[in-house]
This record gives sequence, C-alpha cells and structure tokens, in this order.
Amino acid sequence: MSGVAANSGLLARALLALVSLLCLAREGSAETLVTALSEPTVKITSNFTGAEIVVFGTVERDATTVERPDAYDIVVTVSGPTETVVTRRKDRVFGVWVNNEAVRFMDIPSFYALHSTRRLNEIADEKVLRDRGIGAANLEMRAEAGVNDSAERIATFRDALLRLKLQEGLYAQRSSAVGFLSPSLFRTNIPLPANVPHGNYKVTVSLFRGGALLTSEQQKLRIAKAGFEQFTYSMAHTNALVYGLATVLMALGTGWLAGVMFRKE
Amino acid sequence: MQIYLPIAELPVNIFMILSMGGAVGFLSGMFGIGGGFLLTPLLIFTGITPAVAVATVTTQVVASSFSGVLTYWRRKSIDFPLAFVLLCGGIAGSAVGVWLFSLLQAVGQLDLTISIAYVSFLSLIGGLMLIESVRAMLRSRSGKPVSLRRPGQHNWVHGLPFKMRFRRSRLYVSVIPIAVLGITIGFLGAVLGIGGGFIMVPALIYLLRVPTNVVIGTSLVQILATMAVATVLHAVTNQSVDALLALILMVGGVIGAQFGARVGQHLRGEQLRALLALVVLSVGLRFAIDLVLEPVDLYSFSVLSGGGQ
Repeated sequence: MSGVAANSGLLARALLALVSLLCLAREGSAETLVTALSEPTVKITSNFTGAEIVVFGTVERDATTVERPDAYDIVVTVSGPTETVVTRRKDRVFGVWVNNEAVRFMDIPSFYALHSTRRLNEIADEKVLRDRGIGAANLEMRAEAGVNDSAERIATFRDALLRLKLQEGLYAQRSSAVGFLSPSLFRTNIPLPANVPHGNYKVTVSLFRGGALLTSEQQKLRIAKAGFEQFTYSMAHTNALVYGLATVLMALGTGWLAGVMFRKE
Repeated sequence: MQIYLPIAELPVNIFMILSMGGAVGFLSGMFGIGGGFLLTPLLIFTGITPAVAVATVTTQVVASSFSGVLTYWRRKSIDFPLAFVLLCGGIAGSAVGVWLFSLLQAVGQLDLTISIAYVSFLSLIGGLMLIESVRAMLRSRSGKPVSLRRPGQHNWVHGLPFKMRFRRSRLYVSVIPIAVLGITIGFLGAVLGIGGGFIMVPALIYLLRVPTNVVIGTSLVQILATMAVATVLHAVTNQSVDALLALILMVGGVIGAQFGARVGQHLRGEQLRALLALVVLSVGLRFAIDLVLEPVDLYSFSVLSGGGQ
C-alpha cells in the first residue's frame, strides 16, 4: 500500500520537474523571426501568366538562447482568401454521367502553398501540425453536413477536393523548398500559378526546432488585378448594366467595321 | 502570346483564340449560320468555364450577325414586321433562358443540361437537314426542278388564328407559330450560347414557307436583337461576359466569315446543307460520347462564393 503511495508521489514530482523544465526551455528559446516579402502586392495585368514571390527572413537569437544540436526548421505557408465550394460526384443515371451527390465546404482557403525545409512529418508530430492547421491535410474545412452525412462520406469528398485543388495548382506542398543561406538567413521562392485567385493573402512563417513550434510571423500579401483587367472586372461587377450595353456596342461596332472593310463594291 | 482574360480569369494564347474564331467564322460565312454551337464547345475545351463561354459567345454572335444584317439590309431582303414578331418572342425566351441558366448553375447541372440539349438538338436538326439535302441532291440529279416553296400548298400552321400580313415574305399567317419559334430560339440562345440560326432557317422555310431569299436576312435581325438582349442579361445576372475574349473572337470571326462566304458561293445549296448537316451531327456525336463514357475524374468542384472578392 505504502509502496504505491510512494510511487505516485515520485511520479508527481517527476512531472513537476518536467513541466518546469519545459517552461525553462520556452523562456530560454528566445528566438524571434524577422521576415519580409519580395513584394507586398502582386499585380494581375494583361500579360500575367503567373508570378513568383520570394519570402525571406532571419532567425534572431538573443543572449538567453539555449544552444541545442537540433537544426532550425522553417515552414512558410501562403493562404488565399477563403471561399465556399461545392464538391460534386458524377454517377451513372440512365446510362449518362450526371452530377449526383455533393458536399459543400465553407470558408476554405482558395489558395494554399506550403514550403518547408524538410518533410512535414520530420519537422513535427502530426498532433502539433494538426493543432496549428499546418499542411493541406490539416486545413480546417467545415462541411455543410446534411442529416444523413456520415463522417466517411464527408472525408471522401474532402479528399477529392484536396486532390482537385492540388491538380489545378491551387494547393501545393513542397518540402526542401526553404533553404538556409547562412545559419540564420533563409529564403524560399513561392510560385503563384496563372489561375491564382485575387484578394488578400496571409503569408505565415513558422520556426520549428526539435519538433516544437518556437514562434511564427505573419505578413500580408495582396494579389490584385491592375490596369485594364481591374477596370474591366470592376465594371462588370459594379456597373453590370453599363458593361453589358458597352459590350453590345463594341460588338455592333466590330460587325459594322467588318462590313465596311470587306465590302466588295 | 498569352493574354490574361479579366472575367474568365485565366491566360489564353491570343493566336489560338483568334484562329478558333476564324475557323468558326469561316464555317459561318460559308453556311450563313452564327456558329455559336461550334464556338461554345471549343471555348469550354480550352478551359474556359461553360458560364463564361456561353455568355461571351452571345456577344460574338451580336458582332457577326450585325455584319450580316447590314449586307442583307442593303439588298432589301429583310422582312422587318416578321423579324419584330420573332423578336418579341425571342426577348421573352431569352429572359427565361438566362434565369434558368443561373438556376442550373447553382444546382450544378448546367454542364449536363448544355450537353444533353446539344446532343438532342444537334442530332435532330443535323439528321433532318442531312435527309432533306440528300433528297434534294437526288432530285436534282434525276433532272427534276428543286423548289422549296410550293405556293398554294398549306399545312396546319396556316389554319391558326390571329393572322397577320407580311408583305415582303408574301405571307398571311397567324402570329402564334412565329412567336413560339421566337421564344424557343431566344430561350435556347440564352441557355446554350447559340444564335439558333440553324433552327430558325429551316423552321421559317419549311414550317412557315417564307421565301428563301428573305429568310436569312430576317433570321439574322432576330438573332442580332435576341443575342444583344441576352448579352446584357448575362452581364447583369451572371457577370460572365468577358469583353476581351469576345473582342478577340469577333476579330477572328469576321475575317474568317469573309473567306467562308467566298467559298460558299461556289457550292450548291443542297451540297452546303449536306456539309453543314455533317458538321452539326459530328458536334452532337462528340457531346454524346462525353455523356456516355466514364469521366476520368468523377469528382469536380465549383466555387460558390468568396475567393477573389
């Protein structure tokens, strides 16, 4: 009986020690991140066929930083404005392939690119990544579930959505894509495909060491149509009627011009 | 050379779009049709969403039909009262069509509806045209005169009430079948992005017995007006008209049409109709195959809201 009590007392003391040690380590690892983007705004103009942004930064250490053998790991994520999408599956109905079942996902990032120094599972545990929502598989995707929507069904549609997004280049995950130029200076080039959605983006840089997230920094990135593209787009959306009439006038003008130019007589 | 389309939101090769417009324009000049039924599928094939493709092709049809209307107007072969009645029906049909278009898009069955409608209409019209033109060819080979208009011969259409006189077409018929024809074509035009010339021309000739020389000009007036209304409605309801894409298509189209018209003049009427029937049938077949074959990916997704606002 007394043996058990002694044992549990020992366990409690050991746990206490571990917790205080962890706290010490937290205080000790006083790394901070200083990050920057090559450009805060990416402009979509008529000759836009995609772009590339460079994310770079340094790991700043102060005097209290504990020297440890583990190397630093950097994870950079670029996440686009959220959107609501519907994923549909085709089924054969009367011999014809028809969109049948569908699941709606709310507020998912329209674009998501993740660059890291190593493979994610080498950087941290699944649990750490999941808690922080790091990695395409860990993104929060709220499904608008119907009454008889089983978890497996939603998971199937969610996997399909992730796969389609990857195929379209709207989601991307690249390990060994962040490089250290010096022990503390890192950079990565993140390609933005031609079909990149426009809007406000978040660029998050996270610093890991020994499986633990030390700190993270966030930057704003804006992808916006500019010049003619911007003018046309905003006209089409804010002055739809004027835009429609102007398009018809343009068509009439072109048709008339063609008639004049090619008249034989 | 790549150019970024502001509404379609993707870059396309400008020369590819120009030549697509040119090729379809060539056929449309040769056969006297809008060519929307060929252009819409081609655009969808290049990765442009069906919504943008359909809406933008309606704009392109405005340009090509206006060019044609001017030509026929100069030749005084347009029956304006007839066009007006067709048009009243056409506008009503377009409004319903654009409404249905947004509804189907929301439900996720737009692509399917477009495919099924293409298959059924194209094979029906293509088949009828092929039969008719082959018969005409056989008749002309056996030395009998080819005549589409048989005056004095009336069908059930001529027994309907609300009759109206159309002087240029030398017709005295009920407005009901004309308005119904207009509604149908306006509706199809808005949902499928087609001018409907390939339905209108045979219907006017065979059903209403309008003289052939008046048919094309009159049908072009109706198509022009209906498509102009459909463009504005698409712009207002779906914001899916890409002006830049439309402009490139128009430029290619009007140039192609000039060459097509010249080639067309050297071919006989029934040969032209047989060729057109084959083109129409093959497009229909292409859609039918897609419907029946198992798709490479069963899943698809579409953005409902947000993302790039």
